[in-house]
Amino acid sequence: MSLKVDRDSMAFTFKGGMLPMTVMELTSADPERIREQLAGKLSQSPAFFQHTPVVLNVEKLDEPHLALERICAVCRAHKLLPVAVRGGPDPVKQSAWALGLGWFPPQEAPRSRPLESVTGDGDAEMAEPSEPAGEVVTPGALPGTTVGGRIYRGTVRSGQQVTAPEGDLVVVGAVNAGAEVLAAGSVHVYGALRGRALAGIHGDAQAGIFCRELHAELLSVAGNYKRLEDIDPRLLGTAVQVRLSDDQLGITPLG
Amino acid sequence: MAKIIVVTSGKGGVGKTTSAAAIATGLALRGKKTVVIDFDVGLRNLDLIMGCERRVVYDLVNVIQGEAGLNQALIRDKRVDNLHILPASQTRDKDALTLEGVEKVLDTLTKDFDFIICDSPAGIERGAQLAMYFADEAIVVTNPEVSSVRDSDRILGLLASKTRRAERGEDPIQEHLLITRYNPSRVDLGDMLNLEDIREILAIDLLGLIPESEAVLRASNQGVPVTHDDDSDAGQAYADTVARLLGEEVPLRFHEYQKKGLLSRMFGGVRR
Repeated sequence: MSLKVDRDSMAFTFKGGMLPMTVMELTSADPERIREQLAGKLSQSPAFFQHTPVVLNVEKLDEPHLALERICAVCRAHKLLPVAVRGGPDPVKQSAWALGLGWFPPQEAPRSRPLESVTGDGDAEMAEPSEPAGEVVTPGALPGTTVGGRIYRGTVRSGQQVTAPEGDLVVVGAVNAGAEVLAAGSVHVYGALRGRALAGIHGDAQAGIFCRELHAELLSVAGNYKRLEDIDPRLLGTAVQVRLSDDQLGITPLG
Repeated sequence: MAKIIVVTSGKGGVGKTTSAAAIATGLALRGKKTVVIDFDVGLRNLDLIMGCERRVVYDLVNVIQGEAGLNQALIRDKRVDNLHILPASQTRDKDALTLEGVEKVLDTLTKDFDFIICDSPAGIERGAQLAMYFADEAIVVTNPEVSSVRDSDRILGLLASKTRRAERGEDPIQEHLLITRYNPSRVDLGDMLNLEDIREILAIDLLGLIPESEAVLRASNQGVPVTHDDDSDAGQAYADTVARLLGEEVPLRFHEYQKKGLLSRMFGGVRR
């Protein structure tokens, strides 16, 4: 069996994506109280309730069984479309599935998976930059769900690309000009950062970039980027952290 | 078993062939049985630098394609015993080389020689990758300028992933840095990258530093590897490089700008 499929004959392709999503954080499990509050909101801003998809976040509730079906019915009655449930114990997960809803793990996922360790010598799964990106299925596409990072020991050299698709990337060494380091979470470089560093590649705006010596060609957090030209020259060569605040990349000295 | 050393750089014109010829000559002068192979099929130069261009009959491609025996193609150097040259073809291109063919040639040579020096073509394509594929050690030739350093960095990445040692998960290739065309006075003026910057970026051990020297151009045009010119700074620097390659500790020279003192002005000092 050949895995090669003619692109024209494909019925679909999987794409990772970030969509704006309203999260309804429940602090009460009582459908009646939810109905009252929704009715109030609906009269305030009717434009909002246009079959808007929502994720019901039940993390704050401490109840093993939820009247999930009734809560959903209340939502639909107010033109909100519950598409998934986030958090909650196993019975909640099961009833979400039974109702045809998706289930997401809670936001504060325990970081149980140890960092995968790789060294700079040998084949460190270094993809050539020509490889088509963007057809990657990303299970943890919501911010904050990134677990399972990666440690890279050695110099990331020109033309090499090192990626942590699911968590933080730690580089113990330098990232040279022409090299690219990417992470779903944050990028930490214990050395000079001369190449490109992209953090939060699946849209995690909480991610950051940290390095010992800033000379980066490009810095990007969740798609917001700065080129070397845009960086305050006084910060070059210093230890910095890069964070996103109000859609602006802020670069501040470390320590 | 011979040690296979590739002389490579990524960027062209930095002194790969000059260095391959000089190092091979230096090794042979130290009594090591050495063969230097030109992998730059289509742009044959090594034979000119080695001064044996009039004695080329068969070449590497002929051997790989079975048109000649290895012994027919090997040229014995006229100046040093122990030194042989395997020239490239000028009329073919790099597609004429095959991985299996190169492996067979190297396997045969490794039985008879102490060192096999592979003079890589510029670039990162097939020719360069074939030259480095079977190497045990690599000498990365770099000029003190940013484009050369970046290309060397790229080559170091390939050495760590696209070679037999990397693919088999064996001990990685030993990587050495050879800085050529170093001009300390221009480094002091800020025209050239300095030694420490290059070492910091490439993060590999320094095998040698060859000063920019008139002796190199003269040697190339005369077809006499500069190692033979032991009065010259470049000749001495290559001799130091060879000594380090053989595991000796030799202090670094020619990396600092020295104003000419009275004595050296009177007696000439080291010739450039």
